[in-house]
Amino acid sequence: MARFLLTRLGLAAITLFLLSVIVFFGSQVLPGNVARRKLGPFADQAAVDQLNHQLGTDKPLYEQYWNWISGLFHGDLGTSLSYNLPVNQLIGPALVHSLKLAAFAFVMVVPLAILGGVVAALKRDKLTDRVITIGGLSLTVVPEFVTGIILILVFGLWLDLFPVSANAPDGSSILTQLHYLFLPALTLVIVLFGYIARITRAGTIESLDADYTRTAVLKGLPRRTVIRRHVLRNSLLPTIAVIATQTGYLIGGLVVIETLFNYPGMGRLIFTAAQKKDFPLLETGVLIVGIVFLVATLLADLAYSLLNPRIRYATAE
Amino acid sequence: MDDTQRRVDAIRKDRSELENHIIDEYAAGKITRREFVRRGTVVGMSIPLVSFLAAACGGGGGGGETSGAGTTPTATGQVQAGGNIRVALIQPTTEPNPLLVQDEGGAGLLGSTGEFLSFSNEKLELEPRIAESWEPNDDGTVWTFKIRQGVTFHNGSPLVANDVKETFDKLINPDGGSANAQSALGGVLSPGGIEAPDDATVVFNLDAANGNFPTLVSSANYNAIIIPADLDPADWGKTFEGTGPFKLESFTPKVGAKFVRNDAYWGTKANPDSMELKFYDEEGPMILALQGDEVDFVEHFSVSGGKALLNDPNVNVIAVKAATHRELHMRTDKEPFTDKRVRQAIALSIDRQALVDGLWEGQADIGNDSPFAPLYPSTDTSVPQREQNVDQAKQLLADAGMTSFTVELNTWNGFEIPDLAQLVKQYAAAIGVTINLKITDAGTYYGDGVFGKSTWLDSVMGITDYGHRPVPNVYLTAPLSGDPKVGVWNSAHFKNDQYDSLVKQYVAALDIDSQKGVAKQIEELLLDETPIVFPYFYYFLSAAKKNLLNTTSAATGQFDLSKAGFTS
Repeated sequence: MARFLLTRLGLAAITLFLLSVIVFFGSQVLPGNVARRKLGPFADQAAVDQLNHQLGTDKPLYEQYWNWISGLFHGDLGTSLSYNLPVNQLIGPALVHSLKLAAFAFVMVVPLAILGGVVAALKRDKLTDRVITIGGLSLTVVPEFVTGIILILVFGLWLDLFPVSANAPDGSSILTQLHYLFLPALTLVIVLFGYIARITRAGTIESLDADYTRTAVLKGLPRRTVIRRHVLRNSLLPTIAVIATQTGYLIGGLVVIETLFNYPGMGRLIFTAAQKKDFPLLETGVLIVGIVFLVATLLADLAYSLLNPRIRYATAE
Repeated sequence: MDDTQRRVDAIRKDRSELENHIIDEYAAGKITRREFVRRGTVVGMSIPLVSFLAAACGGGGGGGETSGAGTTPTATGQVQAGGNIRVALIQPTTEPNPLLVQDEGGAGLLGSTGEFLSFSNEKLELEPRIAESWEPNDDGTVWTFKIRQGVTFHNGSPLVANDVKETFDKLINPDGGSANAQSALGGVLSPGGIEAPDDATVVFNLDAANGNFPTLVSSANYNAIIIPADLDPADWGKTFEGTGPFKLESFTPKVGAKFVRNDAYWGTKANPDSMELKFYDEEGPMILALQGDEVDFVEHFSVSGGKALLNDPNVNVIAVKAATHRELHMRTDKEPFTDKRVRQAIALSIDRQALVDGLWEGQADIGNDSPFAPLYPSTDTSVPQREQNVDQAKQLLADAGMTSFTVELNTWNGFEIPDLAQLVKQYAAAIGVTINLKITDAGTYYGDGVFGKSTWLDSVMGITDYGHRPVPNVYLTAPLSGDPKVGVWNSAHFKNDQYDSLVKQYVAALDIDSQKGVAKQIEELLLDETPIVFPYFYYFLSAAKKNLLNTTSAATGQFDLSKAGFTS
């Protein structure tokens, strides 16, 4: 297991390094430059050149990259070019916000989608199955801003049950925060439910048809025990992998939902950093999302190996 | 001679030649009462004084009031004391630094705690703030401002004339000053031109005569909040040091800021206990937040994004006339637009009223292909309005031997601009011109903002957005001047010596009659040459909950909530 973890950590480090290089050089392809973005299109070129010099963005790319990455190894995340603030002061609160929303959405969607998927599989080809699979899929393909706006109109404006913004006032209790986060989390549930339920359904059907399940049934085990011990244990393996791959999206990819609900999370922060070519902020933001993603997939692998002895034994060998 | 006349004479004896000239114009009925008030405040007369003179001197003539305030004035009335006003503001694009701010969100932050020499209100009148009064010398080349005494910064230190001098020295510093402030003050005020002979006096020695100078250093130039002389503008965001009726309680980048009443304010104390700004990346969520009762005031919204508010019975929409506009440029030095008849044909193909109705629900004034918006008092409205005329446009193209051609129209994807581009394409098709649209993001369109490195400045045809200016000077020079040092935004590559000479005369003119006379010639020249189509000038819209009264908005994006409050 230790070797497995070390290998994964090594691969993660290489992935993060490549990610930082791609993001850095990729952001340089965007037109314009940092000072021009800061001073606006009508600013005098001399002023733009001077500000670029002050910010160090007129230095060669490799030098800018080296300065940033060497600072990173010394614990210095750098200073945001567009906000003139230490990057950690911007990333910290945004990450906390994103984690809160992601966690709340996960807590709602994972049990719901797994339950939905299993029920659909058990009621295969019946009306319940159709409702869950087709309904879930239909909701998934609706763009998240459409879902979000409908939820805001119905629950925020007409019924006046939930706030239309997701950011609770400072010092709010956990319950108040959850109240504010409910609509964006529900939007995410609607976006993710169909996908996760469908994967769970497929895995469950495969397990239900498997020889070991037939054997368990023939052994005379109660249906509930068969499902819990034999079906779920195997059917959840692809579901776990899918859930883990959604973490990157949930932490750093919710630009539309965060904008719609005016929620100061990582998605908006990274997006505006990219727009402004604020590469210290962009790089650090992307790296943090990358780390969260890698940790999530690592945890998924561990869960995978715990659920599936074959993987555990293969790793141990 | 009655008492009133004696008082008038006594007042006039102490006023400058320029001020007396304005009084004469009003008394002779050449300018309206509203225009007299506006011009009087610009040249340094206080509002009570100018009101007295307006009543005493009569004149003013009726009608002809093409300038002035918004179509829907702010809702006023009795309000309760105290309260917290929640404001939705578009996300500032830069750090809060008076030198760097160049957008509405940033301007809103600066104006929350900072104060200007004067405040340019929605009627384009200047209300004294840090400056108690101001007056020019006889030819308008030197302006002397009297600085209010007893004003303190929020940190307790007194404000003196040197703070004003240092503020403006920093703004116009060619090495690291404010690019935005310099777009208004460039060629008007140069480094070394400001003096502070004593704690209560600041003297601005201008590069050339300028009758609109007080406006250029008012809140209309939103970078020009007065900050302590020893404060580095880069550190302003740590404390939001200012002298205004609100002071900073907290600021969270990307999220918002909270301000509380400044009990040491020199003037009438703010009515609300506090004011809370919430930043939004998009207009839609701001509007939903107002409807969902999560904010009380939306600082600015567009017709296209906020139609829902225009007919919302729970909301007061405040419309302020503005000079904000789009410019459709055609390169005068490149085919197919070297022949002015082709440019005129494009301009004639456009149905401006349909644009104003369709894109702006009527919340805009029609443009007449010059920067002279109907809002400006110097605009000569006797110049015939260009109307859509497809037959004449086709004839002009035939005369120019260009009955059909294809051209690329470049612009960027923001506001109503893509819709405008699409409509221009349709209008042009009706006269046989095929327009291919190339709509990119703002960064790609503006590029480096210099000739040779910018689609905006290099494209044969393009649409560019221009923000509000309380006087048309910048619009007349930067996008149209043939002098390469001045015409830095001349995307039409327009070069006309007569035009340049007329603009110089206009800028130097101190009285409204002279300005109007030159304006008429400029308007006629631009209508004939048509380097740029100015289709409309749209209004600045704010929205407040029905129970929030006494808010003030200006077309520069600033707002004053110090007198505002709730009825219930």
